[in-house]
Amino acid sequence: MSYAFTEEQLLIKQNALEFAKEYLDPIAMELDHSAKFPAEIVKKMVAQDLLGLFLPGEYGGAEAGFVAFIEVIEALSGSSASVAAILLNHAIAAYAIEHWGTKEQKDNYLPALVKGEKLGALAIYENGPMLGVGPDTLVAEKKPEGYVLNGVKAFVRNAGVAGVYVVLATTDPTSNGKTLTAFLVDAKASGLKVGAAKESMGLRGCPMADLTFENVIVPESAVLGAVDGGLALATDTLAVFSLGEAAETVGIGQAAVEHAAAYSKTRVQFGKPISTLQAIQTLLAEVATDAHVARLALYDAAGLFEEGKPFQTEAAMVKAFLARFGSKMLLDTVQIEGGFGYSEFMPLPRLFRDIAGTTLLEAPAEYPDKTIAAALLA
Amino acid sequence: MPNLLVCYKWTLDERDIKINPNDLSLDSSRAKGKISDFDRMAIEEATQIVEKQGGAVDALSYGTPTVKQSLKDVLSRGPNKAYYIGDASAEHADANVIAKVLAGAVRKLGKYDVILLGEGSSDSFNQQTGARLAALLDLPVVTFVQEMTIEGDTVKATRKLADCTEAVTVKTPAVVQVLSTINKPRIPSMKQVLGASKKPNQELKIADLGLKAEDLVPKSTRKSVKGFVMSRKNVIYKESNAADNVAKLVASLAKEGLR
Repeated sequence: MSYAFTEEQLLIKQNALEFAKEYLDPIAMELDHSAKFPAEIVKKMVAQDLLGLFLPGEYGGAEAGFVAFIEVIEALSGSSASVAAILLNHAIAAYAIEHWGTKEQKDNYLPALVKGEKLGALAIYENGPMLGVGPDTLVAEKKPEGYVLNGVKAFVRNAGVAGVYVVLATTDPTSNGKTLTAFLVDAKASGLKVGAAKESMGLRGCPMADLTFENVIVPESAVLGAVDGGLALATDTLAVFSLGEAAETVGIGQAAVEHAAAYSKTRVQFGKPISTLQAIQTLLAEVATDAHVARLALYDAAGLFEEGKPFQTEAAMVKAFLARFGSKMLLDTVQIEGGFGYSEFMPLPRLFRDIAGTTLLEAPAEYPDKTIAAALLA
Repeated sequence: MPNLLVCYKWTLDERDIKINPNDLSLDSSRAKGKISDFDRMAIEEATQIVEKQGGAVDALSYGTPTVKQSLKDVLSRGPNKAYYIGDASAEHADANVIAKVLAGAVRKLGKYDVILLGEGSSDSFNQQTGARLAALLDLPVVTFVQEMTIEGDTVKATRKLADCTEAVTVKTPAVVQVLSTINKPRIPSMKQVLGASKKPNQELKIADLGLKAEDLVPKSTRKSVKGFVMSRKNVIYKESNAADNVAKLVASLAKEGLR
């Protein structure tokens, strides 16, 4: 557990902030409005080695470590959480392959994911059934030629732009979520269809759609991890994902408090800047404190994960904290900026909608409180 | 193939410096270091030249012992090797001292075809170091450079002056001071950042640079630095007659010292 960043980590954060300022700030508002996938930005992220940032060098990755990845996600999120979400979904799909995959699967996919020839995506959720509870509707039937997938996965981020999906399917729909298996499915697989883009409240530049599987045949070598071991894979992957989400939330919150603080110094009311009013100072202090405390907890959990130590309880605590204070950071900063802050030509409404996405969308298989309590009561 | 040296200054990031509203003193206790902005352009220019033509770029900096913190940053931007002089004398060094220390280091390091620097530093922007360094080394200096090429033993440069541009040619070795418009420094990639620790760096001791004790005594001393805060008075003139409002405004401005 160490909060002292290395010189490299400090430089990585500095460069990520510069990247965000130069390339994301100018397009963030338009990206939010148009919800058009920012392909040119992804190319720029490839050039910065961001797509394989924490992956091993043997696959072309930068081997910068997971803490550096969290720094980058936080830095990008302050400018465009949509772009950060594209990177996060891609990178965690790559993590699942790197952590759970066979040598052949890693050789097949990771170099392409690092170079941006393929983006990664996670197809985990369905309409209705909760992860691990079932009944799951995407069914993988064992056949001599491999597995045949039929059904629908819902709310898939990076859908339509990804080259490979990490897909959870059940080998037995009557098992109530206990026989989930993860598969690597190529985007070009016959019978795989990407549904219409789902308009969302926030993170609008990160594509989201359903995936429909109609007799999609995958070989046995496409099984990621163990057959019927998909729930453990998903639980692990989503815990790692939750750290990235927390980094998005902290980055958004920090951007909001900085914007509100700057605004409060220029907005004059009662003959003086509103920053001189105690009510405004109290709100600013509370939001800055929430962002700071969340960041400390986040980097603690990310550091544990990077060191290969148990991190799930700490990750769940970060998630639980941000579930309470994430959206509040935006409520308070909009309050500070008043009518202007509420207007769409200002950045806070976008940040407000984005932070709803980063705090409400994904959930680990178990709610964070349950994870924390289980650790306490074991 | 050109052998280039870039001299850079490790300054405080001015965005992190707070102004104390009571006495306008500066609080830099939380300020991070950074490579001076114009020097980043000099590093980028040298790196691009070497990428196109071959050759090598070294980097050199003189600063307080904190200058060591700049090594990975500068090496991630392209230079092959970094030399640094980390010495407490830099705390109060003026352009005269800085130029003498750099000149001593250059003499020790050997021959470079072109020595590049930013036109001025982010903190004091005196625009003197390059010219003084050239004088001490008896080299030609080209200032205000917005475009440059190296062809054989010649530097061709375009200088941006107040009301015109000037094309100049000088024989190498030469000193070049670049403007911020000369290029847009690229952001180092993750692999460049991580690769910086594998590049060599070397500390040069100030005692080994052939300097006399008086060379380290600044000729100019900074008495104080104060922040500048622009504040609005928010005075509104509410006379019904426009001429009266104007008269009051003029009187107020005169009272503020405007002549």
